[in-house]
Amino acid sequence: MNHQNHPELAEAFNKDFERTTWHDETLWFVRQKRDKAVYPIPEFQDLRTLASEIKDHTLSNLDNYLIEFEQNAIKNGVKVHWAADAAEHNQIVMDIIKSSCKVEGRNTRMVKSKSMLTEECHLNAFLQKNNIDVVDTDLGERIIQFRDEPPSHIVMPAIHLKKEDVGETFHEHLGTTKGEKDPQILTEAARQHLREKFVAADVALTGVNFAIAETGSFVVCTNEGNADLGVNLAKVHIASMGIEKMIPKLHHLSVYTRLLARSATGQPITTYTSHFTKPAEGKEMHIVIVDNGRTQQLGRADFRNSLKCIRCGACMNTCPVYRRSGGHSYDFTVPGPIGAILSPNIDLHKYSSLPFASTLCGSCSDVCPVKIDIHVQLYKWRQIVGQANELPAAKKWGMKGLAKVLSMPKVYDLGGKLARGALRVLPHGLTHNQSMNPWAKARELPDAPKQSFKEWYEENRK
Amino acid sequence: MTSREKILNSIASNKPALTTLPNVPIFEGDGSIERFKTVLEGIGGRVIEVASKADCQAAIDKYYSDLKNVASDIVKANVAVNLDTTKEILEQVDLAVIQGEIGVAENGTIWVPEINMLNRALPFITQHLVLVLDKNNIVANMQQAYNKLENVGSYGVFIAGPSKTADIEQSLVIGAHGARSMMVLIY
Ligand code: SF4
Repeated sequence: MNHQNHPELAEAFNKDFERTTWHDETLWFVRQKRDKAVYPIPEFQDLRTLASEIKDHTLSNLDNYLIEFEQNAIKNGVKVHWAADAAEHNQIVMDIIKSSCKVEGRNTRMVKSKSMLTEECHLNAFLQKNNIDVVDTDLGERIIQFRDEPPSHIVMPAIHLKKEDVGETFHEHLGTTKGEKDPQILTEAARQHLREKFVAADVALTGVNFAIAETGSFVVCTNEGNADLGVNLAKVHIASMGIEKMIPKLHHLSVYTRLLARSATGQPITTYTSHFTKPAEGKEMHIVIVDNGRTQQLGRADFRNSLKCIRCGACMNTCPVYRRSGGHSYDFTVPGPIGAILSPNIDLHKYSSLPFASTLCGSCSDVCPVKIDIHVQLYKWRQIVGQANELPAAKKWGMKGLAKVLSMPKVYDLGGKLARGALRVLPHGLTHNQSMNPWAKARELPDAPKQSFKEWYEENRK
Repeated sequence: MTSREKILNSIASNKPALTTLPNVPIFEGDGSIERFKTVLEGIGGRVIEVASKADCQAAIDKYYSDLKNVASDIVKANVAVNLDTTKEILEQVDLAVIQGEIGVAENGTIWVPEINMLNRALPFITQHLVLVLDKNNIVANMQQAYNKLENVGSYGVFIAGPSKTADIEQSLVIGAHGARSMMVLIY
């Protein structure tokens, strides 16, 4: 299949004007909720600085913290596994299931709470091929699992859907009344359906929000309670974590738990902040620690602090490009500004358009609770994309021409004169030729002034 | 080379120079019952003050007389729940009344360690949840809460209100998978 770049996918999303506007407004509403939750905390900016510095420090000593974490987890009776890439992660999960959840005459049943890492590894498809029934238990994830779609947001996976869409999906899969679109009724239907799945599950998989070196514990944050319900009813718990989830000490959680939910959804804290340290009597707990490109990103001085991300989604909610192009237009597990600086590390060619999916307004960096300089990194990736000759053709020739002209002041002056004249007389079809000038889509130019600033300045300077 | 060695070696050669770990202060703040109450009620919980721990029974009788199956080690219970209780029995629980340890005024959350839960699944599988809390154990913020918490035991959860979701068009729905309602009895 031919890979579509961000402008192409964003254009498709924008075909439905009303839906685009609705999406834009919905995400902006979440951004406003974030502001309301953040402003009353007098030390919010101090907390951001602390969160950023703790993560900086952790990354600068990450190998030792991972070793400390592993040793403590093993002491706690947890089995620790290491996966260099997605394929190894999936195989480890499969092997754990094979050795610990033997069932006869039916498929093994897994319930899974939200984990962007397992999305990144395409775990569901892999397990399903191996006769494991996987049920995503976060409501948003269940909705998109029914629809066979990827998440469009890291915190609100089904944010691209309207309640009518969900009603249609539940009518088809859960037998709710046709046309039913009341969120209360639809959620109740999902509750009944998923309770059965929780009780029947053999194994529960969760993500990890924070892993604590000092104690070997890990923390999972949810609002629905689906992680705890799954884990505490199944015999085996598997937790998948990227290496960057480490923090050194238990009390460092006090910083992140004050930032995460406020930044994400504007709640004071997630409903459940669950600390897993030892498996319950007679049960098993496994942790899979995954690299999958992260150590490579750690080696890129300009981009390593993208690994500080705590996946709150605030940079997406605030981004004017994300809000008007939708999560699927990024075609990467993590969309939005943070996705646009993580993805080129994975595949520069495939994701070369993503660092350009930004106005560089800097709003993402302003809201980021761990102070990642997201917009600066976007700019730096653009340079690398350019050097690697991966610029989209129209952009490339435009930039080359611009560089030439800017290096020759006389040509620049003349060009300006001609352009001001030409813009007044040229037909719209030429100035707005959309393959040469995609910027002109849905935009009109102001009237061209008769004079350049330079000419005006020379005339008016006294 | 194992993947473990590969990852650790790669980190060792790619990590930046060591930076210092900052100290996290115990920020000041309002740790009053009033604030705790306002915040928790703002996220769908309910707070009732009772005169003493012994008065919890009267409160349960008053507010939950319609619920049949109760599990608790604090008030009268008719479902015995312990570590070995089966899923099938846990599923029938209408109300769980258990002890909370630390309340946080800034966000309305309450620390519940495994030893208070009777069974790890109980606070989540019960239809309704009541946590009982000593008013002297309310602190202002999470720094103070973790400071008070000597260790996290085998398993423990900060619980803030009933289970909820906004996954359908950002409309808040209370009662996703866990408890449909949550009340705190403060004594
Ligand atoms: S980059 Fe910052 S704002 Fe964006 S998801 Fe990560 S932590 Fe949140």
